[in-house]
Amino acid sequence: MGKRSRSDAVAYVSMVGPALLVYLLIVAYPVLNSVVISFTNFNPIAGTAPEFTGLANYRRMLQDPDFWHAFRNNMVVVGISVFGQIPIGFVLAYILFRKLVRGQAFFQAMVFLPNFLSTIVIGILWRRIFLANGPVSRVLQAVSGDPSAQFTMMLYPETVMIPIGFALIWIYTGFFMIIFLANLQKIDLGLLEAAQIDGATEFQVFFKIIVPMLASVLLINAILAIAGSLKGFDLIFSMTTQGIQRDNAMVLPIFMYQKAFLDRSNSVRFAYGAAISNAIVLISIAIILFANFVGKKLGAQEDM
Amino acid sequence: MTIQRFISYFVFILWTVLTVTPLVWMSYSSFKTNAELTQDIFSMPSELVFKTDHDYMVSSFPSPQTLIDGKQRITLESSKIRGFRHFILVDRLPTEFQSLPVGQTVGLDQLPFGLRNEILWKTLFYNYTSAWTRGNLGPKFLNSLFYVVVSTTLIIMFSMMASFGFSKMQFPRWSKFLANLIAVGYLLSIPAIIIPLFIMLSSLGLTDTHLGITLVYVAFGLPLGVLLGQGYMRGIPDSIIESAHMDGAGHWRSFLSIVMPMTVPVIITVSIINALGIWNEFLLVLVMASSESTKSLPVGVFSFASQTSIELGWQLAALVIAVVPTMVVYFRFNKRITQGVVAGAVKG
Repeated sequence: MGKRSRSDAVAYVSMVGPALLVYLLIVAYPVLNSVVISFTNFNPIAGTAPEFTGLANYRRMLQDPDFWHAFRNNMVVVGISVFGQIPIGFVLAYILFRKLVRGQAFFQAMVFLPNFLSTIVIGILWRRIFLANGPVSRVLQAVSGDPSAQFTMMLYPETVMIPIGFALIWIYTGFFMIIFLANLQKIDLGLLEAAQIDGATEFQVFFKIIVPMLASVLLINAILAIAGSLKGFDLIFSMTTQGIQRDNAMVLPIFMYQKAFLDRSNSVRFAYGAAISNAIVLISIAIILFANFVGKKLGAQEDM
Repeated sequence: MTIQRFISYFVFILWTVLTVTPLVWMSYSSFKTNAELTQDIFSMPSELVFKTDHDYMVSSFPSPQTLIDGKQRITLESSKIRGFRHFILVDRLPTEFQSLPVGQTVGLDQLPFGLRNEILWKTLFYNYTSAWTRGNLGPKFLNSLFYVVVSTTLIIMFSMMASFGFSKMQFPRWSKFLANLIAVGYLLSIPAIIIPLFIMLSSLGLTDTHLGITLVYVAFGLPLGVLLGQGYMRGIPDSIIESAHMDGAGHWRSFLSIVMPMTVPVIITVSIINALGIWNEFLLVLVMASSESTKSLPVGVFSFASQTSIELGWQLAALVIAVVPTMVVYFRFNKRITQGVVAGAVKG
């Protein structure tokens, strides 16, 4: 493609420019601004220039018991994703890979479906289903024979994360299944056959060949699960009713939303909210690094 | 082997049942009246579908609707579903009905065939029309459609142009840096920067506008488009473009008439994934849209569901309205969606 010329440069800028401009304005600038605002007492109504207040917003956050409550719930969500969705998704993918069921395309489409339905709609639907006079309660009454039986897990802070965890697994397991399946299909089938001819059981094939080969995919999925769990807003927001129930099931993104957009008594609510969302990003980076570290450690041991 | 197969089938059938049951329950229950839903939560719909021969009472005559166009109407109100009214032009009724006193009961079978048919259809979709009109879902449906179509089009245009620049033009250093810069955005999400976004868009006066909301969707759609578009275009041999250059084609010409047509599979994949994501997106519109004119369907359905927690049938109908378009797209493009998700996850 010959020498670069002035007109090449013009063409390049016209090709790349629009995407870059939108991206810098809407993504890059706010990212930087979020960091800056979180260290100030930014207040759009006061009209005065924001002053540098150091770590005040972060200190306030760490002293807020609600933050720790949301943090704990969010760790439950991370746990459900990493230790629930990923192993189940892996097993489902393995079943499809080994062709243990017919109608693979159908089953795959069915498990993957909830990923693409509006999470808000799913949340409202599950809220209905888990209501004290809803379908699940009706099933409980039929099974137990006790006409006054009710499904009450949504009502108590100790148990509210159980039905939410169920809905999370229901929605996202299919995603991990699809990723695992795509990578399983890259495995050389001859290798598995050779192992089986050598007398390896299905169990041994799974743990000695398949799992080590997919170690890096497991890690990628874990990272996706952690990042996804720490930004998830829609499901818990729509599955709970505003007030005590939502407070019980509070996770960090909802905590951030409420502090920044609903807590009008706080004059520095945007700065405080920015600090919370930065903290969310930092927490997810920290957990991802930790997962990476653990993954490398385990991978190294398997090599030995 | 057989026991493994048995367990495998058990697991997948159970999972499929778990996926389908709530959706099936939602769908058929959206044809039930409120009373039916509270009496028996699992029963099949009947009042709106089969037992539609309930009586109607003349609730006002002439109807207040007369004021609109001066034509005489009679108001018939269902005796079973409270608030379910029909405003019927007096001309359409047989003469003996034209002067019925208020409070008089009319059987559905006494009405002329055309009118009866119309009422039957209206009865069947009673929940849907109620949700659509009372939740004001029509304009929101259009807004959602606007966000999806405009944002997806812009995402495709901008990201494919940039991909062409990054992969097929002679600025490798710049391209590497800029492509990586945009790819980092794949790890970011709207919730992570919603506050600075809100501050910036409100200082530009764009918060409650279609433009502002669309811009955000476009920006967040670019990383995937650039990741996949660039990867795919690298596979197109440079020689094709070089020979086009020999024939005097400029960069734009070779982009539009050679590379774009070859990139159609990626374009379709990126479009579907973005379109589904934007259709279902909630937080951005929740924060940015303060007036009814910019709200999208998920936000509309959410607030409708919160306001009408006693009208279960309407609520379920609203959910179905929001879910059906995505279901159609999902089952129609299932293979491509799956491929696209895998490609996006691995590249990211």
